[in-house]
Amino acid sequence: MNFNSLLKKLMNKPASKDVAKQRLKFALLTDKLDVKKDMLKDLQKDLIEVISRYFEIDKESITIDIQRSEECSALVFNSPILSATHKRGAPAA
Amino acid sequence: MDGKIIVVTSGKGGVGKTTITASIGAALALQGKRVAVVDMDIGLRNLDVVMGLENRIVFNIVDIIQGRCKIKQAAIKDRRIDNLYLIPASQSDDKNAIKPENMVWLCGKLRKEFDITLLDCPAGIEQGFRNSIVAADEAVVVCTPEVSAVRDADRIIGLLYAQSITPKLIVNRIVPRMVENGDMLSHEDVVEVLSIDLLGLIEMDEYVVVSTNTGTPLVLQEDSKAGKALHRIALRLDGHPDLPIENPMIQKTFWKKLSSKFSRKN
Repeated sequence: MNFNSLLKKLMNKPASKDVAKQRLKFALLTDKLDVKKDMLKDLQKDLIEVISRYFEIDKESITIDIQRSEECSALVFNSPILSATHKRGAPAA
Repeated sequence: MDGKIIVVTSGKGGVGKTTITASIGAALALQGKRVAVVDMDIGLRNLDVVMGLENRIVFNIVDIIQGRCKIKQAAIKDRRIDNLYLIPASQSDDKNAIKPENMVWLCGKLRKEFDITLLDCPAGIEQGFRNSIVAADEAVVVCTPEVSAVRDADRIIGLLYAQSITPKLIVNRIVPRMVENGDMLSHEDVVEVLSIDLLGLIEMDEYVVVSTNTGTPLVLQEDSKAGKALHRIALRLDGHPDLPIENPMIQKTFWKKLSSKFSRKN
């Protein structure tokens, strides 16, 4: 161990390779989530269809997006519910 | 028995594919196999200069595919190493001069002539890459312990899996001192991120530059650490899969050993 790395340890700085590893893991994850716009559109259509069986929703103001933060990636589906009552009762199983 | 086709690929350029292809080919030939190395980088050939055979090119891979010559006429025999042949790329065509079906045909012929054919794949994931993997039986992915190289390797590994090929990994240009200081990804880190089997580890080695300068085979340089590692990789590739992988370590001098013992006591 040389002087520089000793200094880094004393200052409690993370090893640069750990930073690299963390960034890599995150980059690979987001690379794989880099889905085509068409796929999100299709997903949105399918989701609306399923949710509409249970709730009355505003189809125009729905947003669907993949959000990335430092910690994790999330699929965010945002839809205002117009009516909490079942539109036509729960579908038969 | 038919020979096998092995593609050496990486995604990112400049990680050592060509040197590794030439060296593994030379090592396998020294082990008694009949070996062809094929430069798949149409328009940007380099395997010929790395092997020191650039002055002897008459025909190239595009000539074979377009029927202007036989494989035997295009394959250049290495004068220093028996049973080692180079099929050079064309420098004047572009990557579209070869189609995947041409490669299937060519690899079928090469399997009859050679025990092992190594394809030196160009960087990138376009036509040249497609041509290189279409008829391959096995794949070797080369990467260096850098974020960019590992990310590209991950992409390449995914594309190889889609082709039903399970690749093996070579981590090249390891600097043991930096790994020990925590300033370079260790091979364990790289393997963990890529979750793929390891084929070998190669240390950063100045002999590589010197042997490329002169066009002499790295595996003939007895003092070269990279050369030694490549000999072992060649053995692992062909018939000795369980040969242990040596981890590049810092060469400790007497005083360093003494001082590290001393500091451990404190």
